[in-house]
Amino acid sequence: MWKTVYNWLDERIGLNDLYTNILDRPEPKTSWWNTLGSASMFLFIFQGLTGIFLTVYYTPSPDHAYDSINYIMEGVAFGWLIRGIHHWGATLMVILVFIHMLRVFYTASFKYPRELTWLIGIGLFLTTLGMGFTGYLLPWNQKSFWATTVGTQIAGTVPFLGEFILKALRGGPDLSALTLQRFFSAHIWIIPAILAALIGIHLFLIIKHGESHWPQKED
Amino acid sequence: MNDENKKQINERYEKQLEKGERFWPDTIFKDLVMSFGIFILLLLLATFIGVPGEPKADPSDTSYIPRPEWYFLFLFKFLALYGQLPVIGKIEWLATVLIPGIAIAVLTLMPFIEKSPYRHYSKRILPISIMSIMVVGIVLLTLMSDVPTVSKDGSSLLGTLQTIAGIFIPLTAYILLFVFKKNTRFMLWTTSLAALSMILVSGTVLALAPEKEAEETEVATTLPDQIVAGQDLYSIHCTECHGDDGAVAVITGVEGLEGEKITPINSRDVLYTVTDSAMSEVIGYGRPNAGMPPFGKTYGGELTKGEIDYIVIFMRYMWDDRFEAPEIKPLFPPLADGEVPSYDVHIQPIVKRYCISCHRAGKDNNNYLMTTYEEILTTGDQVSNNVIAGDENSYLLQVIQEHAIMNPEKPEEELIGVMPPTKALKPDVIDVFIRWIMNGMPQTAEEAAALSTTPTTTPTP
Ligand code: HEC
Ligand code: HEC
Ligand code: HEM
Repeated sequence: MWKTVYNWLDERIGLNDLYTNILDRPEPKTSWWNTLGSASMFLFIFQGLTGIFLTVYYTPSPDHAYDSINYIMEGVAFGWLIRGIHHWGATLMVILVFIHMLRVFYTASFKYPRELTWLIGIGLFLTTLGMGFTGYLLPWNQKSFWATTVGTQIAGTVPFLGEFILKALRGGPDLSALTLQRFFSAHIWIIPAILAALIGIHLFLIIKHGESHWPQKED
Repeated sequence: MNDENKKQINERYEKQLEKGERFWPDTIFKDLVMSFGIFILLLLLATFIGVPGEPKADPSDTSYIPRPEWYFLFLFKFLALYGQLPVIGKIEWLATVLIPGIAIAVLTLMPFIEKSPYRHYSKRILPISIMSIMVVGIVLLTLMSDVPTVSKDGSSLLGTLQTIAGIFIPLTAYILLFVFKKNTRFMLWTTSLAALSMILVSGTVLALAPEKEAEETEVATTLPDQIVAGQDLYSIHCTECHGDDGAVAVITGVEGLEGEKITPINSRDVLYTVTDSAMSEVIGYGRPNAGMPPFGKTYGGELTKGEIDYIVIFMRYMWDDRFEAPEIKPLFPPLADGEVPSYDVHIQPIVKRYCISCHRAGKDNNNYLMTTYEEILTTGDQVSNNVIAGDENSYLLQVIQEHAIMNPEKPEEELIGVMPPTKALKPDVIDVFIRWIMNGMPQTAEEAAALSTTPTTTPTP
């Protein structure tokens, strides 16, 4: 029975090809340092899942954001756990992506033929920080409000363009409902979409070239 | 890199593949173990540390010290240190835009900057040294992010040390590395010494750093907590005009508003017609024409937006018959026979609810302030008679039991009226005051427990 289903599917989408091309590949001896990339990806997926749950209750308006978070913490069954995971997941993801990048740097894995993987990686690093920056404002508490105030202020010191960047980020001269709406949209649609696309390319390149081996004396 | 190099690299890789493993299941297995470990770590963090509560955003509260997310703290600290440098410290965008911009550009273009085909550490001392010093710097700046650059006594020693660790040592090391980039041994020494001295100087900074004052982040997140917080704020700020239950219809005893007729704010007329946001606006802006001062920080008062929200929640749940109040903890735990109350557990919440509205700075109260333990014992015109350990004639005990203190010189004149002036305290509250003063005013729960005659917790058989 399963065999028939499998064969039927295999004929239409080529499961066997997928298996040989993606899973049944040779790799050099890998170490635990090589798990950091996939761990970052796991966190990204997990952030997505917990994040979707949070959007069910979260309201992106200055009047209700804080209370809706309070409600998630107090009123929703296991809301505190989901929010806790999302909160700490964000922190861990930044750390993991950073250490992953350091490991790639120290083993010089960014060299031929993996230069493009590295470039995409930088994109991933910056978008991960962007996720953190935009997500931080959403609870609309004192910490997040003032952190975003100084954060956007720093962006505003860019010569010539500063004024424009500041207003584009805030949606006006000051932090307001518009800022929150904007950060929310960036946090749940724009940046995750970019991140997901970049991860796709990153993975494609990694499968194409295989993981680099640990540098040996003669390398 | 020429084709020869490329061919060599690919051949070496093929050889490693032959000696290697299978992606499935070997590599994936490790990945899964790692992800699972992280999942467990997340569960533990979320359960045992959780997300600390924070007050609601208050754009008017400009006294709040802004801090970015922790992973930007190092940048924040770097900016602060950079700002102290003479001359270039004034050109802000150098540090906010140019230096981070260059760092990111160099990082991005790494594969094109470091063009040598070699991957082994021994052949990459310069890049590895630069990166290592950078990482050590980032970690140290993050750790030092809380330490002020100027201490309370005005000395800038801490700031100087931080600048040395965070800017001068790495900068010197970078210059040395580039100048002597042919000499491997020298580079290794430079990097190790730079990292070590950065760690030592930062360690000194952290050791010298002033003890961080535990900041009060008492945030009411549950409804009962919010109601209690609102009630405390209400008792402090509103009772003198509206009474402790909001029922006052004619103001008495308030200068300038004597005899003023007002709508009782616990009436349906007010509660049913004024929405939550209008209510918080009334409290924030006041009723300047009618005589109610503004309370919101935005308008020069002392309450934040969040605090005003608590007051509104309190009014709704305690007065509005459309809302059902949840169960609320008593103001203080009831006393057992022989138990001695403490300031921390009993007196403080009572005083906050019944006395602080008048007994704080800026009010008419014979200079008797009651906002802290010390103030209760050491202020007031009659300070020597107000609170006397073990003396039931302490003025405080007399006045709360409806015995006004008469002026010894002019016996027909009141020196201190009964307290609180408008409404007598309940007997159990008076009992707490009596036991507290008769037993020598213990401050902490432990001190009080030591004075109690029966054990506070009866052992269960
Ligand atoms: C100095 C006296 C004073 C103080 C203190 C005071 N109020 Fe008032 N309040 C008034 C007066 C006078 C009015 C106008 C009443 C009227 O017009 O009926 C008023 C009106 C109000 C109203 C609107 C009633 C209506 O008819 O719409 C509310 C609500 C209210 N006060 C709440 C508060 C709260 C909450 C506090 C404490 C933060 C407070 N007040 C402190 C004097 C005061
Ligand atoms: C409505 C405002 C108000 C409240 C509430 C109030 N007091 Fe007073 N208190 C005063 C004033 C005004 C005086 C100055 C003496 C007078 O006018 O009777 C005073 C004076 C005193 C004094 C004498 C201080 C001195 O050194 O002369 C004591 C003791 C005292 N209060 C205790 C209390 C206690 C305890 C409470 C709370 C249970 C309380 N008061 C609540 C207004 C208040
Ligand atoms: C969301 C962030 C990221 C995800 C999900 C991710 C995912 C992965 C995965 C699954 C791998 C293969 C396993 C491994 O070697 O760890 C990998 C490898 C790699 N990553 Fe990332 N990565 C991320 C960020 C980055 C960053 C910030 C960089 C560098 C700037 C980077 C550069 C690379 C390179 C060059 C490789 C190939 C390493 C090799 O073949 O040895 N990645 N990444």
